[in-house]
Amino acid sequence: MLDALIVWATEWVTGTFGDTWGDRLAYLTNGKHLAWYASVRFTLIAAFAGAAVAVLCGLLGAAALRSRIAPLRWVGKVYTTIVRGVPDVLFFLFFPLAFEQSVEWFMAQRSCDAATLANATSWPPCAAAQWYLGTGEYLALACVSLGIVYGAFAANVINGAMTAVPRGQLEAAKAYGFSSRQVFWRFQVRQMWIYALPGLSNVWMLLLKATSLLSLLQIQDMVVWANRIGAPNYIARVGAVHGDWRWRYYIALFVFYILLTMISEYIFRRLRERASRGMALSST
Amino acid sequence: MSVFTDGTLIDTVRQLGRPALFNIYFALASIPLGFPFALLLALGRSSRITPLAWLSRSYIYAFRGSPLFIQFFMVYSVMLAFNLSTWKPMGIDHIVLHPLFLGPLVLVLNTAAYGAEILSGALHAVPKGQIEAARAVGMSRLQIFRSVTWPNAIRIAWPAYTNEVVFLFHATALVYFTLPVINEQKDLMNKAGELFERDYNAVLHYSVAAGYFLVISALVFWAAGLVYKRMIRHLGNDAPSRMRFKPNYLR
Amino acid sequence: MKTCYTLLAAASFAVAGVASAADVRIATEGAYAPWNYLDDSGELAGYEIDLGNEVCARAGVECEWIINEWDSIIPNLQAGNYDVIMAGMSITDERMEQIDFSEPYFPPDPSRYIALAGSEFDFDALADTRIGAQGATIQAGYAESTFGADNTILTYELPDQSIADLVAGNLDVVLADGSYLEPIVEGSDGAIVFVGPDVSIGNGVGAGLRKEDSELGAAISAALVSIKEDGTLEELMIEYFGEASAFPE
Repeated sequence: MLDALIVWATEWVTGTFGDTWGDRLAYLTNGKHLAWYASVRFTLIAAFAGAAVAVLCGLLGAAALRSRIAPLRWVGKVYTTIVRGVPDVLFFLFFPLAFEQSVEWFMAQRSCDAATLANATSWPPCAAAQWYLGTGEYLALACVSLGIVYGAFAANVINGAMTAVPRGQLEAAKAYGFSSRQVFWRFQVRQMWIYALPGLSNVWMLLLKATSLLSLLQIQDMVVWANRIGAPNYIARVGAVHGDWRWRYYIALFVFYILLTMISEYIFRRLRERASRGMALSST
Repeated sequence: MSVFTDGTLIDTVRQLGRPALFNIYFALASIPLGFPFALLLALGRSSRITPLAWLSRSYIYAFRGSPLFIQFFMVYSVMLAFNLSTWKPMGIDHIVLHPLFLGPLVLVLNTAAYGAEILSGALHAVPKGQIEAARAVGMSRLQIFRSVTWPNAIRIAWPAYTNEVVFLFHATALVYFTLPVINEQKDLMNKAGELFERDYNAVLHYSVAAGYFLVISALVFWAAGLVYKRMIRHLGNDAPSRMRFKPNYLR
Repeated sequence: MKTCYTLLAAASFAVAGVASAADVRIATEGAYAPWNYLDDSGELAGYEIDLGNEVCARAGVECEWIINEWDSIIPNLQAGNYDVIMAGMSITDERMEQIDFSEPYFPPDPSRYIALAGSEFDFDALADTRIGAQGATIQAGYAESTFGADNTILTYELPDQSIADLVAGNLDVVLADGSYLEPIVEGSDGAIVFVGPDVSIGNGVGAGLRKEDSELGAAISAALVSIKEDGTLEELMIEYFGEASAFPE
């Protein structure tokens, strides 16, 4: 085991990608590799747009959970419970499919004639109701699915943070003559963010890791390219001839995600320091 | 038309029954090793031996800080790279690379890191006074751990660890996206996808798969709640409110 | 809903800059050299890419290539994500129930077994052998029905995963299209060899189309016939496979 490890490590350092540094650089900057590096954009777009949708869904979910109207509370409850009870990958696959089919259903109602609609055996019933999903559409749908899933997590965090705002402060605000609307928006909601920040940073980390699933929606993301470049190739005209190098590329991805986590952690720590200046927080 | 014909709800429920066992197997097979490994990491994390503490911390950070999806790909490809040099001469190659072995292995590596974080928090939350009292009556360090630290820590960690088990169960959905499928060994995700490709009824098949995950998750919470009630029985009025079914949202 | 769709489309436009102005969208796997693959510059290349572009030129349509995983390539055709499949897909009765095929652009191609040099198998009484194939292929179906009872069949998402597992010793044999395996055996310097008999499954390779797109199918078939007749197809076969095999009459 140890010998194998040493051979493996030596191989890694010495010329597997070429004999000279120039060769190695050329290999690591060929079109395929550049496409791999560039595919980071899908991951980052999905993470940021997904987070934006998640915060929105979280706010709506928390509002529902705290609503005075019972049916709304149930909606909030069902949303957060179901999303939590199902694996994110299942929802991630299911939501775009279901959304596509319902869009096509609506389009079919509008643009197919009644006879075709009634006798349709295949889906969608007529060609006019065909919705084409390319990378862009899939990416948008991926962001929305991520947002809905992690919005349920965020809803719970925000709900807890709303409760965590000290009652005394709200009462003091009321005593100063602020209306209850002002108390809610200017004191409770504004302070809520500070209490929610640790929980939201946790949700962000979960979401960031879930962006590795983009390839399941036919998006040519980093995982796809890593697999493609690392796969063994025996045919010279196809490209560099090498054995199975996938493990190198997966290790690189593993390290890349750890770096993303480190950067996120650093940013959230700074944010929390800034946000909690002058705040009486018992513990952070 | 019988309710068992293709494309009906009952037919899908029936067809996904066996695949659900694979998900249950992956989760069940991972806990017996994942829990002790998590405990070792938790103890190592606060160890006074610096390299050990550093190693444990880095491990926990790396496996919590990267996606399980990539961990699956990585472990499979690394294990494959060692096949000819190591596993084959030992004669265990087909076991080591089998999804029913490798799946739980990766899940153990992953859940141990998350579990360690939970257990180490619980170990630190054990009331100091109780440990001092134990020391005062002359207990050895091992005795203190066995009869004071451990019972307290497991009680404190129980709700969070239950949550981790449910997360682990959900993570089993990723196994066959990353590992080869052997014969008819297919899990819920795999089979639901296969049924979908037959009739394009995404709502039916994926909802049933989701239903399996929901029901089993609820069962885990329920059973863990019963155990928790027994755990805190002796505390009387000091007992924390009984474990709520409201699942924790953070991992 | 319409607004929702428009919004989503607009968002996706902005996000990925993917405009689908093309008349015809052709899906391929991009991992099946020399049929279709991504070369070192990251561009799609291969027999089917050259052929597809030629077909589009002759049919007078503008084409766009789309990469889609093999196992969802038929469902996504049905779902309308693209109009044509050109991914080394054999014409089989089972697939004909779901989709239509154009005129074949590659003659029936026997499937073959490969193994590491030095291994021997008795294919008349194969037992306890680990057989690899790509999932959802005719080879996977054949292996399952012929050898499934006494052997272990492993199926993979991508064809090159099965090759990697064979080389790493996790498989005893791989069953795949001969035209896919030949360059691999040739390039492996004797490490990988053909074993056992050729297996004739499949009826040539054609472009897959939705059943209702018969007009497009006719246009593609007509272009393919003209490509065959003036010898262009033969040239392409020689370029990518080293030899041109004849179509059965």
